[in-house]
Amino acid sequence: MILLSAIFVPVIGSFILPVIGKISERARNGLALCFVLVSLVGSSLLIPSVLAGNAVTFSRALPVGFNMVFTADSLAVFMAICSSLVGAVIVLFSFGYISHYENRNEYYLMVVLFLGAMMGIIFSANLICMFLFWEITAIASWRLIGFFRGKNDVLKADKAFLVTVFGALVMLLGFVLIAQQAGSFDLSVIKETFKASPVPDIAVLLILIGILTKSATLPFHTWLPDAGVAPSPVTALLHAAVLVKIGVYVFARLFIVTFTFSQMWHVIVPWIAASSALVSAGAALIDTDLKRIIAYSTVSQIAFIFLGLAIGGPLGVAGAMLYILMHGIAKGGLFLCAGIIEQNTHTKDITKMGGLVATMPVTAVAFLFCAFSVMGIPPFGGFFSKYMVMSSVFTSGQMALALTFLVGAFLTILYMFRLFNMIFMGDAQGAPAKEGSRVMVVSVAILGALSLLGGLYIIYPSNYVQIAVKQMLGM
Amino acid sequence: MPALFFLIPLIGVITLNLPFRKLMKKTAFWFAAVLFIFQIVLVSSHRTSFWGTGLVQGSFFNVNFYVDHLTLIMLFSISIVSLASLLVARAMISDENKRFNFINLLITAAIGMNGIVMVKDIFSLYVFLEVAAVSAFIMITINKDKPALEGAFKYILLSAIATIMMLSSIGLLLLIAGDTSFGAISAAISSSPQSMLVKLAMAIFLCGLFIKGGLIPFHGWLPDAYSAAAAPASVLLAGIVTKVSGIYTLIRIVTSLFGFTPAVSKVLLLIGAASIVIGAFAALGQKDLKRMLAYSSISQVGYIIIGFGTGSVLGVTGAVFHLFNHAIFKSLLFVNAAAVEKEAGTVDMDRLGGLSQTMPITGTTSAIAFLSTSGIPPLAGFWSKVIIIIALWQAGYIAYAAVAVLTSVLTAAYLITMQRKAFFGNIAPGLERTKEAPLAICVASIILAAVTVGVGVFFPFVFNNFIMPVKEILIK
Repeated sequence: MILLSAIFVPVIGSFILPVIGKISERARNGLALCFVLVSLVGSSLLIPSVLAGNAVTFSRALPVGFNMVFTADSLAVFMAICSSLVGAVIVLFSFGYISHYENRNEYYLMVVLFLGAMMGIIFSANLICMFLFWEITAIASWRLIGFFRGKNDVLKADKAFLVTVFGALVMLLGFVLIAQQAGSFDLSVIKETFKASPVPDIAVLLILIGILTKSATLPFHTWLPDAGVAPSPVTALLHAAVLVKIGVYVFARLFIVTFTFSQMWHVIVPWIAASSALVSAGAALIDTDLKRIIAYSTVSQIAFIFLGLAIGGPLGVAGAMLYILMHGIAKGGLFLCAGIIEQNTHTKDITKMGGLVATMPVTAVAFLFCAFSVMGIPPFGGFFSKYMVMSSVFTSGQMALALTFLVGAFLTILYMFRLFNMIFMGDAQGAPAKEGSRVMVVSVAILGALSLLGGLYIIYPSNYVQIAVKQMLGM
Repeated sequence: MPALFFLIPLIGVITLNLPFRKLMKKTAFWFAAVLFIFQIVLVSSHRTSFWGTGLVQGSFFNVNFYVDHLTLIMLFSISIVSLASLLVARAMISDENKRFNFINLLITAAIGMNGIVMVKDIFSLYVFLEVAAVSAFIMITINKDKPALEGAFKYILLSAIATIMMLSSIGLLLLIAGDTSFGAISAAISSSPQSMLVKLAMAIFLCGLFIKGGLIPFHGWLPDAYSAAAAPASVLLAGIVTKVSGIYTLIRIVTSLFGFTPAVSKVLLLIGAASIVIGAFAALGQKDLKRMLAYSSISQVGYIIIGFGTGSVLGVTGAVFHLFNHAIFKSLLFVNAAAVEKEAGTVDMDRLGGLSQTMPITGTTSAIAFLSTSGIPPLAGFWSKVIIIIALWQAGYIAYAAVAVLTSVLTAAYLITMQRKAFFGNIAPGLERTKEAPLAICVASIILAAVTVGVGVFFPFVFNNFIMPVKEILIK
């Protein structure tokens, strides 16, 4: 029951938001936040039972062998908390950011629907069900990226939609192939079927294409920087909290929890990730558009998560899971800071900024904290996750791979410092920009603080993750 | 009792044209609306006392009417699309006489289509096909403008060829079986499957149906007829007329007469795949909104045929489901096109833009139709498409399944282009003053959008109760 409300309260509730919005703006905003909090609280309430090893399951049969199964295990609950936590802060931030644009009703409808669909993907234990929610996120991101309705905005929205839908359809073929062999789309049945042998390579390839498009990894990454035309809370949602994490999550759910792939993919996937990390870090180093830089940084950081998952082993998977949490918080914070900066300086070009630390101190500090976390500087949260992923690569013995990622990590530090320096340090250019509205500053402060606290109190998430990894790998 | 679907409208049309024409002109719309709503209610209520248990036969002038689950689905689609067309006609045809004529023709077309889906005899089938087709010819040209006349002329010519083919095939079959009822012909065909005469008759009949259904390479008439037709006629034509007279008939003839021989399956799969791909590529290049929708129609009909071509239970039910869904969402897209034509005065997509802002209902419903057509869950179009794909895969046609999946991306591509150029984005210069479409059109689009969303969300219920029983057509 808790499980179903965590999914369906936001999904169904989102559709009454425009109606409420016609009556009262405040009520709609409050309600939108409530719906997301229902997911957050609901998934948190599931923690005790999943830690005890009891997965919560709801299932209902549908015709032609489809069935609707939702399962909350430790991985799903962890992911749900990450997404809804960052999602809730983003909705809070939107109260300030979005308040003076048109189409606010559609905005809140789509954001809440988006987060609800994310919950659906996380808890689905059936491939068709997962695909269904997967595509709902595509619809929502299409409307959200084109939010400003300019010609370029809509083009970029179409690009994101087409790329991800292409990937999803290819993935659907892979699903059908697997279901054909297993005789069902139900993940528990599939798990039994492929217990002894790895899944066919062609199915892995098809599903991987879907995952890479959604997670914006080389060679399907170009839509993500382009999607920076969207409002900043939306980019935070797409890049940090939800959209790109869908691919990573489904990768973990299918290839680690449900079935195994043949040895060759343990080499191919890390190298795809490695090239993605390097190329996008390089792009982040030379771009001058604030949001594009952070977007490239996302592409680069997602590669680290893929690395941890694909290398396998308890350390890598645990590191990747922590990485999902820390990166979600920190990157969400960076995008929201970018939103404040963009709104108050009226530009996204970092060469036209400078010295903003004087006029927006809170944003600057929050930005710095989040940037430290992304760079992996101790004692911020990002350090521990990056350390665990890297050490899992070293222990696996793939030295070339490890060195490539070390370069990637070094580039991260480089472009993050460049970004911070260009924006906040040096001489002020143009009219002094003022600090963002209170609710916006509070939101970024929360995420900045969480980045630090996540590192200081790393013991709590890491304990949880260790238990989760044991359950996932069946140890 | 099913004969009522034929008799009531027939008596209605005759009454409407009796002396009191002045009075009748006012009541014609309401008469037709009540008629279609009555049909919707009766079909969806599933009252066994009306239909009997399962199959019912009624007799009328020796024409046997016969109702099974496939017929019920078709009757439902016919009534709902006709209702949409009627509502669009109310808003789009301002001249009272023309509107009166249109409504009469609409009811006549509905008689024809109701007849097609209920008869169990190949000659009666042919008669009703002609009733529907002739009404459609006149409806296309109701405004008597040049492109419409040209489109209708093409349609008549090709339709005449189709008619000749079907009629000669019927002649041959009569020669073989000595009777025109489905049962007799089916028995005769299965007793001599290798006869050249049977094969010839089958081939000619199928070609005739491919022309009627506008499948590649027999599609030449379709884009012209759809795009030039008067708006309410294009809704009816694209939504249901070609589906009933081409596709439904194909499904019925193949399942009850010819059976799934390997050759038939192969032809259907090939024609289906060609239609899917070529239709989608052609749609990609169109500038005219209605023309794009016409090519999209060819592509979507391809999905129905390819699913049907598998001959498996899943494939056939998926095909019927897609037939129903396609009737709904394609009519919806044409209703939206009618709204745009009425308010913006053009369907040239280069001159449109941002209409969602001034026409929110049209914009939203067209987005729903677009997503359903591209097969995006949780809308109705997704479920039928995914069933077809799974059926293809299970039957071992993996390459066809891949074609079906990948062309979905093309579908999404041309429809999203349409969305971007017409609805999404900033409003185009000169269109700032447009306002929402008239109430009648909005009602039509809301009904159709509600059906699409409802069928998608309540897919298990709809599929189990209405679509799955269709598999009975595979059991002779």
